[in-house]
Amino acid sequence: MDLSRRGFLQAAALTAAASGLTVACGGGSGSGGTKNGKNLTLWYWGGALSDKVVAEAKTHFSSQIKLTTASIGGDFKQKLTTTLAAGTSVPDITGIKGEDIASFLPNANRFLDLNDLGFKKLSSQYLDWKTKLAQTEDGKQIGFPIDIGPTALFYREDLFAKAGVDTDPAKVAALVKTWEDYFQLGTELQGKNPGTYLVNNLGSMFDMTVGQGTQRFIDKNNHFIGDQDHIRAAWTTSVRPYTLGLDAKINDNTWNAAVGKNLLTELGAAWHALDIEQAAPQTKGKWRVCPMPVGPANQGGSYLALPKQCRNPEEAFKIISWILSPANDARGFTDAAIFPAAPAAYTMPAMTGPDAFFGGQKIIEVFGPAAKAVPIAYEAPADAAVMAPYKTELTNIEAKGKKPDDAWKDAVSQAKQIARRQGVN
Amino acid sequence: MTAIDTARPTTGGRKRRRPKGLTAHIILIVAVLLSVFPFAWTIVMATNTTQDIYKSPPKFTFGSHLLENIRHVLNTIDFFGSMLNTVMVATVTTVLVLFIDSLAAFTFAKFDFPGRKLLFGTLLLFMMLPLQLAILPQFILMSKIGWVGMLKALALPSLANAFGIFWLHQYIQNGVPDELLDAARIDGAGFFRQYWNIALPMIRPALSFLAIFAFVNCWNDYIWPLVVLTDPGHVTLQVELAQLNVGHTTDYSMVMAGVLMAALPLVIVFSIFARGFIAGATEGAVQGS
Amino acid sequence: MTSPPVTGPAAVPSHRGGPGPARFRPRRAVPVGTARPKRRGPLSYWRQYLAISPFYLIFAAFSFFPVFYSLYLAFQRWDGMGTMQFVGLQQFRFLWDDPVFWLSIRNTLVIWVLSTVPTLFGALVLATLLHSVRRFKGFYRIALYVPNVTSIVAVAIFFGAVFSNNFGLVNAILGVVGISPVPWLSNPWLIKVVISLLMTWQWTGYNMIIYLAGLQAIPTSIYEAAKMDGAGPVRTFFQITIPIMRPIILFTVIISTINGLQSFSEPQVLFASNAANANLGGPGQAGLTTLLYFYQSAFLNNDYGYGAAIVWAFFVLIIVLVAVNWRITTRGRKA
Repeated sequence: MDLSRRGFLQAAALTAAASGLTVACGGGSGSGGTKNGKNLTLWYWGGALSDKVVAEAKTHFSSQIKLTTASIGGDFKQKLTTTLAAGTSVPDITGIKGEDIASFLPNANRFLDLNDLGFKKLSSQYLDWKTKLAQTEDGKQIGFPIDIGPTALFYREDLFAKAGVDTDPAKVAALVKTWEDYFQLGTELQGKNPGTYLVNNLGSMFDMTVGQGTQRFIDKNNHFIGDQDHIRAAWTTSVRPYTLGLDAKINDNTWNAAVGKNLLTELGAAWHALDIEQAAPQTKGKWRVCPMPVGPANQGGSYLALPKQCRNPEEAFKIISWILSPANDARGFTDAAIFPAAPAAYTMPAMTGPDAFFGGQKIIEVFGPAAKAVPIAYEAPADAAVMAPYKTELTNIEAKGKKPDDAWKDAVSQAKQIARRQGVN
Repeated sequence: MTAIDTARPTTGGRKRRRPKGLTAHIILIVAVLLSVFPFAWTIVMATNTTQDIYKSPPKFTFGSHLLENIRHVLNTIDFFGSMLNTVMVATVTTVLVLFIDSLAAFTFAKFDFPGRKLLFGTLLLFMMLPLQLAILPQFILMSKIGWVGMLKALALPSLANAFGIFWLHQYIQNGVPDELLDAARIDGAGFFRQYWNIALPMIRPALSFLAIFAFVNCWNDYIWPLVVLTDPGHVTLQVELAQLNVGHTTDYSMVMAGVLMAALPLVIVFSIFARGFIAGATEGAVQGS
Repeated sequence: MTSPPVTGPAAVPSHRGGPGPARFRPRRAVPVGTARPKRRGPLSYWRQYLAISPFYLIFAAFSFFPVFYSLYLAFQRWDGMGTMQFVGLQQFRFLWDDPVFWLSIRNTLVIWVLSTVPTLFGALVLATLLHSVRRFKGFYRIALYVPNVTSIVAVAIFFGAVFSNNFGLVNAILGVVGISPVPWLSNPWLIKVVISLLMTWQWTGYNMIIYLAGLQAIPTSIYEAAKMDGAGPVRTFFQITIPIMRPIILFTVIISTINGLQSFSEPQVLFASNAANANLGGPGQAGLTTLLYFYQSAFLNNDYGYGAAIVWAFFVLIIVLVAVNWRITTRGRKA
């Protein structure tokens, strides 16, 4: 009896002590004070970088640095935010998605200013608008551009031909100078190809039409401008396919199945080519690309950043500037359909070859000029959050048959509320 | 209602008019088919190619691509390494949960002490609180301890299993007779002896049920491991599984193969042990009283 | 403490009429072990405190502290990284005016009812059937419990594939019968139905096992007596089985309420793979549950203060619902 009681006491005391201690004594393990560590960690997500280039970087720098990479699944931003907030186990180098970069800018002090490490000298190699999006008002550079997402119009050459449309990219581009031209062509095509649709959903239309503008939902003075004419116009254009019956209303996981079947066109960024290729390999050779009506927008495209806790900023900067050098960036295009942010890459053989999926078309001839023509717009930290209700209301039109005007009113009032919550006035 | 009509007589009397409980068996078999069907369909998807899945109508028969999909999974993620991690964490967590919870539940059910009602009430209240928001404070705590990225960081928060105490408390209260404890105390058994030698053996069925529940929860936990396990060499199966589902398009057949590979061990282990476990959990209730 | 499984600090009077299973026999008010010796200082209970200490230490660190930290957060504006800014009750004012919050509450309640009712009813029927049969008992139990063993991520992926509008199995089968495709994952009501089906599928077996435990504790002599009095099976079920099972049914109702109201992973995984939607919860936000809305506000919009306010407002709601539930389920017991 005595024995078992002692056993119990030990067990209980141990557990209690363990939990008590662990709660009581914090700190301790944080990152070391020295800034010339030999071990560096790099966080990214599947498809953010060319795995081959990353593997080469490991061997290339192995004499000075042991680089450990982690491909993070799930919600990357949440994981990064939590880690940064806690301040420990922070990666030395991390990827940041293009759509998230603005929301990290108010906390630029959590990152190193890349300009201090020599980015100024390299910045001319990268597209100016892309670099600026990762810059604070006072000029701190927190992100090193990896790639961009210039958009274009993907279309089904076979279905166009069936409708008697000249399928040469230049000819198609001339046909769809404006969105109205595009819709008109869509109606024509749909007549000849029953059961097909021009666009997959209204939300993706809205992404494009907003992205074509030089203003978004919040201006530089932190004012909400999502109820103004530029957004209203983008909205009106986006709703047109619905009223014309050209909208496939795909808002669930069936895009994969639809894209090879009844979609006439896709509006998307350069990386979207890979999506189409993977979802509908049987349509190989039947797709073409041409410039988007009105002009290009940008969708996505990421950055690499160095958190404040980086254990060896100089070496880390060397590593990222090596991984993202124009030559290596160009290889990302071949390996992972990452469209480089460095224009010098556009003339390299890795990018100028004909693409069999697009019937041998040299798609860089469309995306290269698009990359340079993307309009620059100020993107506030709360931009993505404020944009969400518009897209929700667009799906309400599609799913519930909500009247577009009612949807607009609700979208604006909700967006205003979110903006207020996020400290926009 | 027919279900009930046919169900009851067998307990009370025996009717010889038709095979015993035929309707009951038919309904039960339909229920079994419904509950097992997703596994079968997952196998169908895992043995075909993604193109077959996207066809409309989809392919209904088993394909021949299972090995190819499995190889694809193994090439993409560290399946066995992460499975080992998961098994370790789940086992340790389960054992500790059983000990900590049964000890506390026993105390609550059979002893009175100042603050008992308040403490137990707090526990019940917190059972109802969604703990998703706890992720950030928990993570900050973990980073203070310096456990971020370590497997033991997974086990600790789930040791405070309020449901476990609640469930065992109900069971002990009714399933462990006071007379037995009284008798033991007269024989000179101390507090821990009463717990270890009298209560614990009697609540074994309830423990089995809790064990399954805790193990399964730990095995399937997703958000917390995703946040706290920063080291790619130390992740769990569910986190690895999610890696398969990233990217703009999904290789469905490969994901399904992964889902199958992750679910099957649990189902098999469960089926082997569950016979005793569930039978015990239900029949023990009678014996216990 | 008294017999019903959920009592909490406020114990209810313990009389109950009629025959009851031995397990749920009323218990004496003073638990054994102390026999109420007068005036013992708290220190003399050190064994008891020690025994519950491991749990409460971990509980304090990983449940208690985070929860109150989140209450503190509900009065701040915080993006998760920068400095916090005290805003008083502003977050709650926003909440009151936020249609999406109320929509999420409605969604949660609808999904909860659509899943809990069939789950518990199905579980009770299955448990009764299972209790009545002699053969294959073990097999049935395992086969019916298996859904609860699968990961929610896997199940949600599976349901997404089966109910897919275009390539789903369900629509394919309907197509064979000549019914045109049903927009399972885009119609606001059907979205809720699919989520509820998913939860029903996963939790029926679990509740069945709990009911079975209760059924097996009912002495057969009660049924013999009822039969002698000439009670038919249906009457026996409603007048003997249900009343005796009431404490267990209450237990499952409470547990399902907690689980059902906290539905989060189901809609999240079901609709997350869809990059076209910036909004969570699917088309029309029909699958946006309150917890999912919290997740979106806190982790996707970096609005931790608002997220905390959502959770706390929701917590109050759950408490009210559980209390109402408890009232309804226990009503009539004291007659």
